[in-house]
Amino acid sequence: MRSLRTIGCLLMVIAMGLAWMSGGRKPVPMKLPVPAGWPAPQYDFKKNPLTKEGFLLGRKLFYETALSRDSTISCASCHQQFGAFATYEHPLSHGIDNTLTTRNAPALENLAWEKEFMWDGGINHLDLQPLAPLTAVNEMGETIAEALHRLRRDTAYVRMFSEAFGDTAINTQRMGKALSQFLVMLVSADSKYDRVIRGKDSFLLPERLGYGIFQQKCGSCHREPLFTDLSYRNTGIPLDNTLNDYGRMRITGDRRDSLKFKVPSLRNVAITHPYGHDGRFFSLLNVFEHYRKNMIVTPLTDSILQHRLPLSNFEIGQLTAFLNTLTDTTFLKNPLFAPPGYVITPVFIHRH
Amino acid sequence: MMSPFRCVLYVSGLLLVLGLRPAVHHPLMIRFRNCAGNRPLQLSGELYSNSFGELFSVQQFKYYVSAIRVMGEGEGARGGGEVRNGEREVHGSGHDRDGGREEEVLLKEAHLVDEGDSSSLVLHLSTDLADIRRISFVVGVDSLANTGGVQGGDLDPMLGMFWTWNTGYVYARLEGESDSAHSPAHRFTWDIGGYKDPSNALRTVTLDVGAGGGSTSGGVQGRGADGKKEICITADVLKWFDGKSPVHLVRTPICHQPGALAMRIADNYSTMFSVTP
Repeated sequence: MRSLRTIGCLLMVIAMGLAWMSGGRKPVPMKLPVPAGWPAPQYDFKKNPLTKEGFLLGRKLFYETALSRDSTISCASCHQQFGAFATYEHPLSHGIDNTLTTRNAPALENLAWEKEFMWDGGINHLDLQPLAPLTAVNEMGETIAEALHRLRRDTAYVRMFSEAFGDTAINTQRMGKALSQFLVMLVSADSKYDRVIRGKDSFLLPERLGYGIFQQKCGSCHREPLFTDLSYRNTGIPLDNTLNDYGRMRITGDRRDSLKFKVPSLRNVAITHPYGHDGRFFSLLNVFEHYRKNMIVTPLTDSILQHRLPLSNFEIGQLTAFLNTLTDTTFLKNPLFAPPGYVITPVFIHRH
Repeated sequence: MMSPFRCVLYVSGLLLVLGLRPAVHHPLMIRFRNCAGNRPLQLSGELYSNSFGELFSVQQFKYYVSAIRVMGEGEGARGGGEVRNGEREVHGSGHDRDGGREEEVLLKEAHLVDEGDSSSLVLHLSTDLADIRRISFVVGVDSLANTGGVQGGDLDPMLGMFWTWNTGYVYARLEGESDSAHSPAHRFTWDIGGYKDPSNALRTVTLDVGAGGGSTSGGVQGRGADGKKEICITADVLKWFDGKSPVHLVRTPICHQPGALAMRIADNYSTMFSVTP
């Protein structure tokens, strides 16, 4: 058995020598930070191992305006880091040629824990998600073929695809995988709430009272620790007859899914306004008013909201205090997620 | 007690012997010929008429075929000597024997047949079977590819046979113009797909090849034959309208999502194939 081991060692040395001679550099593995107490991620890392090179390529693609037909917008145009990768203040996202989409850009955070994407859950894999905004005429309006063609003509991309995937091939699959490597790393788990849970901080009185009210009245759908149960629900938001967006029903074709939309995470909620699938609620106060007063209850409205959601003014105040503790400035200012070459001046650095 | 090392030796020796056993591969060409009734299909504005008298022209005609299998008799069964048992990997394909009749998977992956790309109309494969009696394939793309992220090759979403907003492949597309279609610019587009129940539009087609395993240009059948086997599969676009139940352009010129209409059209086009002798 000892001779076997010797042979094994020799083979390894030879293999390493060959790798060195051919100049092949292996990509540097990266690990998804999984916060303590969180469930296992849903993303299949076996099919797309995280590497530093893949992440950096994904980040460059995320900020790449050349992916849109007129080279004016990138993913980051509607998913801005300072807005938790949602669009700050736009109710509906803006596409090329003065177009508008029909939906509010959702925050991009903790995507490794999701299996379905979009407000209606129509997309079943993170790697496929970018193809929808890339090709939609009222978003980036480009064809996949032309976008890939532009990347292939850019020597920086040829080098980066090669570093990430071993050769210079640039194709749909690799573009999706690289973008996913960047997207899954957008983990937001360092808000004041998280520090309190970890025993590193404590709530102020209104925050603590608000947390109690939240657990009692909101937590069954906006379930901790992701602050969403990832389900689709009809919350009594009436149809807008200019958008005619029936949500989940368009995907399933099932009438019972009419006006159901995905429960959004409340992480960083204080800065992701406007709210709702079409951004119709401009402030948290609008959302509270909707739940306690303005809901249009139909038989298809979620069963736990059949009597709306009674909230007193006092409760709204405490809830607001609690929701503000979900803002994660480490995430919002993490230079790792900023555009390549973006230099953060000391003023922006937030130290705890 | 056998040491693990010796065990590995025995197993690898066995695999080596099995792997070295000579197998006869017959080249097999599968040719797709698209037509409209008894006329060859043209994508150049030619007018065709369905059985309801709706006149239409075709601009795009594409469909995925996958899991191509052939059934018939193998070398062993035919020679009466050696008989293969169980499953064996031949060129990455599965191979099953069933009571003298053999079945072989020739191509697992999806292949896109596109009338607009003549190179897609011919498949060069190879088979162990000396005598092919039947051929079967699936029209569409299996659910693993529909749920497994971005695929490459013929399944690259770049080719446009894919819904980005509601993940899934378009299994088959018929697109053209018809004065009967009251849609914008009288264009009709039928994109058929769906992998989730009850809208699973995958259809398996099995066709008799007939005695002789298709036409044989070399004139020799069986073991050691140099002759190229060829199976010519004809797809008749007119069947999309009435293969099983009538679907009119005047009523439903557009089908862009999985559902009841897509299921009906899939039922219809599952009858469009035949083997040309």
